[in-house]
Amino acid sequence: MQELSRFKSDAEKAAGIVLDAGGEVVGRTRLQKMAYLLEIAGLGSDFVFEYRHYGPYSEELAVGVANANLQNLISQEDRLANWGGSYSIFKVVDAKAKANVEPSRRQMLELTVKANPVALELAATAAYLAIEGDSSPWVETQRRKPEKAEKFLDSAKVLYQHLRSIATPTPLPEIQN
Amino acid sequence: MGFKFQRVRDPLHNLIEFPGDEFHHAMWEVIQTHEFQRLRRVKQLGFSELVYPGATHTRFAHSVGVFHTARKLMDVVKKRLGDTAYQETKAQRALAAALVHDLGHGPYSHAFEDVGKRLRLPMADHEKVTDQLVREGDVSAALNRLGSGFATDVADVIKKAGSATIYGAVVSSQFDADRLDYVQRDRLMTGTHHGAIDFNWLLSNLEVGEVSYGVDGEAVGKIETFVLGPKALHAAEAYLLGLFQLYATVYLHKATRGAEKLFTELLTKLIELAKDGSVAKTGLSNSHPLVQFAKHPEKLDNALVLDDSVVGGALSMMVQAKDPSIADLSKRLRDRRLFKCIDVGECLSQMLKERQFERNDFDGACIAVEQRLVDWCQQNPKDIPRILIDNPERSIYKTMSEESKGPLDQIMMKPGTGNGEPFDVALVSQVVKAIKPFKAFRVYYEEGDQKAKIAIEQAINKEVETCRN
Repeated sequence: MQELSRFKSDAEKAAGIVLDAGGEVVGRTRLQKMAYLLEIAGLGSDFVFEYRHYGPYSEELAVGVANANLQNLISQEDRLANWGGSYSIFKVVDAKAKANVEPSRRQMLELTVKANPVALELAATAAYLAIEGDSSPWVETQRRKPEKAEKFLDSAKVLYQHLRSIATPTPLPEIQN
Repeated sequence: MGFKFQRVRDPLHNLIEFPGDEFHHAMWEVIQTHEFQRLRRVKQLGFSELVYPGATHTRFAHSVGVFHTARKLMDVVKKRLGDTAYQETKAQRALAAALVHDLGHGPYSHAFEDVGKRLRLPMADHEKVTDQLVREGDVSAALNRLGSGFATDVADVIKKAGSATIYGAVVSSQFDADRLDYVQRDRLMTGTHHGAIDFNWLLSNLEVGEVSYGVDGEAVGKIETFVLGPKALHAAEAYLLGLFQLYATVYLHKATRGAEKLFTELLTKLIELAKDGSVAKTGLSNSHPLVQFAKHPEKLDNALVLDDSVVGGALSMMVQAKDPSIADLSKRLRDRRLFKCIDVGECLSQMLKERQFERNDFDGACIAVEQRLVDWCQQNPKDIPRILIDNPERSIYKTMSEESKGPLDQIMMKPGTGNGEPFDVALVSQVVKAIKPFKAFRVYYEEGDQKAKIAIEQAINKEVETCRN
């Protein structure tokens, strides 16, 4: 059976993450990793993730974000990054919208919305590898992303420990340092 | 010790030679493995041959062509880096990766992956299967003739694990060997006259440069990749335009996509029945490779016995299935009796051309029509949905951002004067800047289903009315 209400629901779910994160999320990579960590913690929106260049990635979420923008649920502002590329800022359009979010989801989002995006990418990648059965996820993350790991692996580990300390319906996998 | 000199005659590249050295002998041995030979039975363009009868070329021919193209790119790397900086081992890993990068493709390639995504079947993911095949089994053994651990290194190149290097860019970048081969091969074999590229000029203007990259707003560092000399600007534009035209006229052709939709429905139904213990309704025997795959989709061996010929051969058996949907869909695919197509996007743009829509408004109108059709299908259920919706979107080029696949996915131009940093081609080319993603919104319905046809027309008309008001 084809996925009948893909557009509407994925857009609403994507906008819901932005709303629950305080109404603003900086960076598409950040949004993807936030959604992934929620998903594996049992607090997600049933997006399917696969491994891509920046770690776990959901095409459904990417389309949902685009359609949330089209449906005026969120706005997207593109800015130039200091390294020469660009990044996006997503904001909930309805200023009066109030998040009705369960505490553990809110805590996860509070931590990830302000985390360094590279550290967040590394933490989400290690979690993905752990779930895929890798025996040394941090080592494998470092091997796959050596330049990023050199600067940000330690802060990724700290971030992950903070995330793990949140009582979530599904505990995040334990990853030995 | 010398090895036998081998040659392959190729329709695109003419002679592809495998000299009698150790490296090329190992590559030749990889080609002889049953995993690689299987690619002779997987067509490069799947159902495109229903539209372009010449497009029966295989992943086998493409893979050998990618290897040949990768050697040409590696010659550029060697020339630009110089003999001292050039690292032969890294180059060989990348060349081997180019040869085996497509090993894991299933029958009808991307259509099969759609089934895998829908039913969450790990062995329908060609990247996963390729990774496993390169790390284990006969291909791995053939690669490891070049040294223990060589196969693992090759798998890492394909997976883009580790530091990004110019050697990796040969396998994975905007100018990788894969794309440079398929753009030319698919054009040749389909017979289309769209999408010509100036391959030799591009190659002759390729250089090696460093570009910055980051994550969201955070800078990370610099990596080596291919950059184009300033004289290749127009060739770069033609390259991207060529890709765009191939997407519009070949890869996302409405009849090809229509066949893929039927294929996806057929395999989904077949796998569900087989898993439910209703094999007898499928027209296939319990030992048929498709049934075995349906029952144990997690087993690599079950995925490896599937190819285009296995599925194509099964159609005539499934035509006899007790399940009416299986029988009907098989007959349609066998005899090329596809569902009728209505190009909703095209209809909307024709009917609303006086409105001069902004892109977002147009996309919004498409979503509204889709939602109406979705509601109609829910209210008028059938075993196979009465309206099959297809809305593919492909971005041919994205400026460097978190949306792109990373810094290697850009076309970077070398400044004409001075020693400045390479810059994104989109900054200087109005043509590249103007290339929007190719989007289509089409719906398919059974030719005799007048109610579905009317529902589609009404959904379009209602949206046109809404937009005009």
